[in-house]
Amino acid sequence: MPPSLFNRTPQPPTYRILVPLGGNPSDEVALRLACDIAKKEKGRVQAVYVIEVRRTQALDAELPPELEQGEVILREAEALGSQLQTEIDTELLQAREVGPAVVDEACDRGVQLIVMGLPYKRKFGDFSLGRSAPYILKHAPCRVWILREPPAAAE
Amino acid sequence: MRVVIMGCGRVGSTLAANLDQGGHEVTIVDLDSSQFRRLPAGFGGRSLVGNGIDQDVLRRAGIEEADAFVAVTQGDNHNVLASQIAKHVFSVHNVICRMYDLVREEFYQDLGLTTISPTKVISGMIGDMLHHPE
Amino acid sequence: MYIILVGGGKVGFHLARALLSEGHEVLVIERDRRKCVSINDELGSVVLQGDGCEAAILAEAGASRADLVIAVTGGDEDNLVVCQLAKGKFHTPRTIARINNPKNESIFKKLGIDDTISSTQVIMERIQAEIPSHPLLHLASLGSYGLELVNLSVAEGAAAAGHKLRDISLPPQTVVSLIIGADGPRVPTGDTLIQIGDEVIAVTRVESEDALRAQFASQH
Repeated sequence: MPPSLFNRTPQPPTYRILVPLGGNPSDEVALRLACDIAKKEKGRVQAVYVIEVRRTQALDAELPPELEQGEVILREAEALGSQLQTEIDTELLQAREVGPAVVDEACDRGVQLIVMGLPYKRKFGDFSLGRSAPYILKHAPCRVWILREPPAAAE
Repeated sequence: MRVVIMGCGRVGSTLAANLDQGGHEVTIVDLDSSQFRRLPAGFGGRSLVGNGIDQDVLRRAGIEEADAFVAVTQGDNHNVLASQIAKHVFSVHNVICRMYDLVREEFYQDLGLTTISPTKVISGMIGDMLHHPE
Repeated sequence: MYIILVGGGKVGFHLARALLSEGHEVLVIERDRRKCVSINDELGSVVLQGDGCEAAILAEAGASRADLVIAVTGGDEDNLVVCQLAKGKFHTPRTIARINNPKNESIFKKLGIDDTISSTQVIMERIQAEIPSHPLLHLASLGSYGLELVNLSVAEGAAAAGHKLRDISLPPQTVVSLIIGADGPRVPTGDTLIQIGDEVIAVTRVESEDALRAQFASQH
């Protein structure tokens, strides 16, 4: 029977996983996990690196050193993807703060999952989640997985 | 000398008492009447409850006839506004403004205000004491 | 334009939203952490937590590339310092200060603040626009601006009775906003006739209240 236009089951949306990168070793763990899931779900992984632009500069200011650093981090992500035989899309953003930029990106792309690594950091002697993770946990429109590094690795 | 002092904290009340002792005509202004308890029993000056950045309060304190105005409340910005009112609206000859923040102090000094920063003075003095112990 | 707002209270928040919707780049500087969080939640990352009277915070905010600095805190002294620092230290081309106490307007002008906005002025305008449709409870907060909302009944033998509004000598800074007569409320014009038994609602300065009352009360 020819497929009918009307009762065709809707194509499920591609399973999109967003991996915000911070330029630290926990990135790799997050990317590997995201690739595993993407394979299972036939999804896509998108790695994003956000350059935080200080208020003293316009948001679209040219920041060559930061840009280069971001490109290096994203190229490493791409390389890891091809090693794992998963294509990783990459994107470099400039924003005032990482948290809102990641959430906006997740909204715009219709992401189903955010996977991010979190180095174990201390602030004033106490464990600190940092600024971005709490914001993303609170505001992301999708599931969020945070992979916290073991304490020793951070010291 | 006729002096209007804004802020009856430790510095304001001590200054008021000293000037009064020295035979000067002192009016001290504070928002909080309980602050006037800091003044000594025999204080012969005037104390006035009110906000020193209110021009009517300053008028009642006699700023129009004052030779000097001293702003020593806890708030730098409060002191700055009152001092500028004293200087530019009432043309008080001698205006002294206390400021804790060094950056602002320098800035207002450049704008022509006579300022004093306890932060600078006291840290300098302690430094001297450390370098030249008795 | 890049606009820095100092003060994230109600005025700052709504102003930020309006300016953002016009496509400006906006940053709000606010001391109180909770206010910062709630503004960020509503408007995105547009807040810097700190004291806008501190030169270091203004520097971090990029005051030297701002086209406009607006100080809208509840303290006139803070608003003055923000604008003076912005102008004198960061060479901000334009500064606007909110003035809470109308008596400060002249000193701000004298000290070179380009523009001042007195909340009293704004509220007066709003009162005139809003009274016909809103209950009067709305206006209780006027006391702190040295203004009062008064309700007067035109007594028999009152000086104003039988005269047109424009012919009545009102004390300075007094606005008759509404007249409620036998045939219902009306927004008065100069031609409105004041009649015995009318309810007159007016905004006046505290010190003018007696002079105003004298016009509408019985003269006996």
